[in-house]
Amino acid sequence: MKRWLSILLIISLAGVLAACAGGNNGGTTSNSNSSNTSNSGNKQNEGSTNTAESSNFVDGKYQEPITLTTVWGINENGSVFKEGESIEDNVHTRLIKERLGIDIKYNWVVTNTNDAYKTKLRLMLSSGEKMPDVVTYRGDLETVNMLIDSGQFMPVDELVEKYANDTYKEGLALDPAIWLPITRDGQKMALPILDYAYNDDHVMWIRQDWLDKLKLQAPTTIEELEAVMDAFVNQDPDGNNKKDTIGLATGFKNGYNTWMTDIGFVFGAYGTMPGQWNLTEDGKLENGSINPNAKTALAKLKEWMEKGYISEDSALYDENAGSELFTKGEAGIIFGRNWLPAWPFPDLLANVPDAKYKAYPIPAGPDGKIGSAGGNPPVNGYIFVNKDSKNPEAILHYYNWFFDNLANPQPGSEFENGFAEGYDYALLPDGTVTTDAAAHPDLFPGLKGQIAPALYYTLTYEGARIPSLYGETHLKLANGEEPVTPYEKTEFNSRTKENIEAMKVVVEQKDIRMKNYYMGPLTETMQDKNELLNKLVNETYSKIIYGQQPLDSFDTMVENWFKSGGEQITNEVNEWYENAK
Amino acid sequence: MDNVARAQLQDNVVAAKKRKREKEKLSRTWPLHLMLLPAAIVTFIFAYMPMGGLVMAFQDFKPYDGIFGSKFVGLKHFEFMFQYPDSKEVIWNTLVISSLKIVFGLIVPFVFAILLNEVRKMAFKRTIQTLVYLPHFISWVILGAILTDMLSSKGIVNSTLNSLGIQSIPWLADGNWFRFTVVVSDIWQNFGFNTIVFLASLAGVNPALYEAAEVDGANRWKQTLHITVPAMIPIAVVVGTLSLGNILNGGFDQIFNLYNTLVYDKGDIIDTFVYRTAILNGQYSFGTAVGLFKSAIGLVLIVISYRMAYKFAGYRIF
Repeated sequence: MKRWLSILLIISLAGVLAACAGGNNGGTTSNSNSSNTSNSGNKQNEGSTNTAESSNFVDGKYQEPITLTTVWGINENGSVFKEGESIEDNVHTRLIKERLGIDIKYNWVVTNTNDAYKTKLRLMLSSGEKMPDVVTYRGDLETVNMLIDSGQFMPVDELVEKYANDTYKEGLALDPAIWLPITRDGQKMALPILDYAYNDDHVMWIRQDWLDKLKLQAPTTIEELEAVMDAFVNQDPDGNNKKDTIGLATGFKNGYNTWMTDIGFVFGAYGTMPGQWNLTEDGKLENGSINPNAKTALAKLKEWMEKGYISEDSALYDENAGSELFTKGEAGIIFGRNWLPAWPFPDLLANVPDAKYKAYPIPAGPDGKIGSAGGNPPVNGYIFVNKDSKNPEAILHYYNWFFDNLANPQPGSEFENGFAEGYDYALLPDGTVTTDAAAHPDLFPGLKGQIAPALYYTLTYEGARIPSLYGETHLKLANGEEPVTPYEKTEFNSRTKENIEAMKVVVEQKDIRMKNYYMGPLTETMQDKNELLNKLVNETYSKIIYGQQPLDSFDTMVENWFKSGGEQITNEVNEWYENAK
Repeated sequence: MDNVARAQLQDNVVAAKKRKREKEKLSRTWPLHLMLLPAAIVTFIFAYMPMGGLVMAFQDFKPYDGIFGSKFVGLKHFEFMFQYPDSKEVIWNTLVISSLKIVFGLIVPFVFAILLNEVRKMAFKRTIQTLVYLPHFISWVILGAILTDMLSSKGIVNSTLNSLGIQSIPWLADGNWFRFTVVVSDIWQNFGFNTIVFLASLAGVNPALYEAAEVDGANRWKQTLHITVPAMIPIAVVVGTLSLGNILNGGFDQIFNLYNTLVYDKGDIIDTFVYRTAILNGQYSFGTAVGLFKSAIGLVLIVISYRMAYKFAGYRIF
C-alpha cells in the first residue's frame, strides 16, 4: 500500500512538472484535422466564370441582385447590434442590397476573440474547404501567405485596373510598396484595405517652456540638438536649483527603433536604421543594425550617456517607462508620434501644470542626412477574391461605394452625420447631432444605451479610409483653415492644437521616412536564428552605449552576425525582394 | 492431507480476515478518499491529459496542421537545443541563479525562524510572521515595476547611497549586480513561506526537552544548538529536497520583468530564452522539447534527492 502510494505520488509530481512544460507552449492540442493541406485539386470545372458579369451592373447597381458570399469574425468595435439585428441582417446589409444590388451571405460567423477568426480560416484552409467569394483578413502575414498559397484566390491586377475608382487607385498609388507583401510572380494577389497614412511617423517633441526660458532655438541638426540637451542638463530649465534634468527621454529595452522614445533618428542622421531592412544604393536589402554607420551613431549615444544627456536607465526602460522621463518633467525632448498630446502628455500637464510642448522636425546629421523609421504603406488588412467567384468585381463596386459616400462625406450629403440615424448617431429635436446613446436612449431604439457602429460591420472593417485624408486635414487645420466637412470638424474638435501642428510637421517631412522593406513572413532561417541575432545586436548595442564594451566590439558583432545565420537571412530576404518587387 | 487441508483453510481464514480488515478500513476512511478525488481529477485533467502534447517535441508542429497533421522530425529540436550557441550560457545562468536562490532560500528562513522563535511577545511574533509572508502574494509584474523604479540611477536606493557618500550601484544594469538583485529580491519575496514551515516544526518540540536542558545547565545558545536546530533539520531537508526539483527554473516571472539587454550574458535563464526563441517566433516544438528536457532533469533530481534525504536524514515523505 505504502509503496504503491509513493509511486503514485512521484508520478503525479512528475506529471505536474511535465504539465508546466506543456503549459509553457500554450499547447492547444485539440486542433485535430487529419487531412493534408493541399488544396490544388479543387479547381472548379465550370468554364463560364468571368464572362457575362458586368452587363448586369448599370447605374451603380446590379439590376438583377447578386449574391456575395463571405465569412466573418465579429470584432470588438463592431459587436453591438440593434435588437433583432445580427451581422447577417442589419442596416448595413440591407442598405448594400438596396443601393448596390449585392446580397451579402455569411457562410459562417465567429466572435473574433483569441484569434477565433484566424483559427477558423486556417482550419478551412487545411481541410481544403472551398472558399467564399471574398475573404477579408487583418492580422499576421503568415495567414495572409497561407491564403495566397491555397491557390483559391485570383490575381487582382485586372480587377483594380478595370473597376477601382480613382480614390482607391490614388490611395494605392501613394506607395507602390503596398503591394510587396502580396505579390507573387509579379501578380497582385489581394486587395489592400487602406488606412490613414503618416499616423505612425515620428516628430521631435520639445518642452517649449524650457526652450523659451533658456532663450534657445529648436535644434535642426544633431549638433544643435547636443547644445540644447547640454543646456537642459546644466542650466536648470525647471528652475528648482537642482541639477536633476536630462536632455532626451529614451527607453531602448525593446530595441533601437521603437514606437515611442525612439532614438532611431540618431542612426538615421548617419544613414542607417537598425532593426529593419533598408534599401541600399545598389537595390539590395540590408539589415540596418549591421551597417557601419550604426557604429558612428553608437559612439554618439555613448557620448550622450557619459554627458548625462540621456538617462542611465535607458536600457532598463521600455517605451512607456521611457516616456515617463518626459511626462514627469525630467527630460526635455522625446521622439514619438503626432498623437502623443492625447496620450501620454496629459500626465506631463498633471505633473508640471505650466508645461508647454511643441513638435519639431527630425534633426539632420552632419552631412545633412535625416532619417526616421516609418512611412510604411497605409495598409491594414487584405481582401482576397475567389477565382471561381461569379462576380469578382462586386467587392470593388462595394469598396468604391464606401469611398464615394462614406470616406469623406461632404456637408449636406446623405451620410454627413454618420452611417444611419438611430444607429451610430441621432438628431436631437433642435437639429444637432448626438452620439451619446446613454443620455438619449429614446433616440437609439433597441440599443440599451449603446450606439451601433454600423460602419464597422462592413466587409472592409471601417467602410473606406482615404490614406492622405488624415494628414491633409491636419495640414489644412494647422494652416488656420476653418473645418468644413464632418471629418474635419471631428478632427478639429477631438485633437489638440499641438497634435494638429505635429501632423503638419510629419506631412512636411514625409520624404525622410525610412521604411522597412522586408514585408514577407519569417523566413526559415529567421525562425531558427532571429532570436540569436537580435540578442547579439541588442546586447552589443547597449553594452557599447553603457561603456561595458569597447566601441570596436561592433565590428566583431557584425562578423558574428554574418557567421551565425545573418548572411543566409540576407540572401533569403533579397530573394523575396527580387520576387516581390 | 489433513495437514495440507488445514493449512489451506488457515490461509483462507487469514486472507479473509485481511480482506475484511481492509474493507472495514475503507468503510471508515471513505470520506477522506472522497476529499482526495477533486485533486486527483484536477491533476488528471491539467497534468496528465496535456502530456499528450509532448509529442510536439518530436514534430515540426504547425498550429494549423495540429498534432495529428504535423511532420515527425525525431530528435531535431533536442539537437538544436544543444547546438545553439547560447544554450550553455543560458543553462549555466539558470543553475547559478537557482542554486543561489535555493541555498539562501533555506538559510535565511532557517535563521529567521530561530530568531523569531525566541521572541516572547506573541502579538509581535504573529505580526512579523504575517508581514514577511505578505510579499509572497504580490505579482512580479507589479514588483518588477516597483523595483525598476526603486533601483534606477535616481531611485530611492541609489539616492540614499549617494547621500551617504557611496557611488550609485547599477543594480539592474550590470550582470553581476543583476544576479545579486535577483537572488535578494526573490528571497525577500519568498522567505516568509518557509519561515512559517520552520516555525510550525518548532511548535512541535516537546517543552520538556528545554526544561531538562535547563536543569542540566544549558544556556539559551546551547539549547538552540542542541534542541531547536536538530528539531528543524528534517523539515529543512524536505524543503531542500522539494526545491531541488526546481533547479532548472530560475523564476521566469521575476527575470522577465527585471532583465534587459545589458544583463543577457549573466541573467538570461532557460525560461526567458525559450520565451524569446520559441514563443515569440512561433517555434512551439522547440519550446516543448526544452520543457520536456527540464522535466526529465527535474524528475531525476527529485528522485535522487529524495533517496538522499532518506538515507542521510532518515526522512521519508511517503
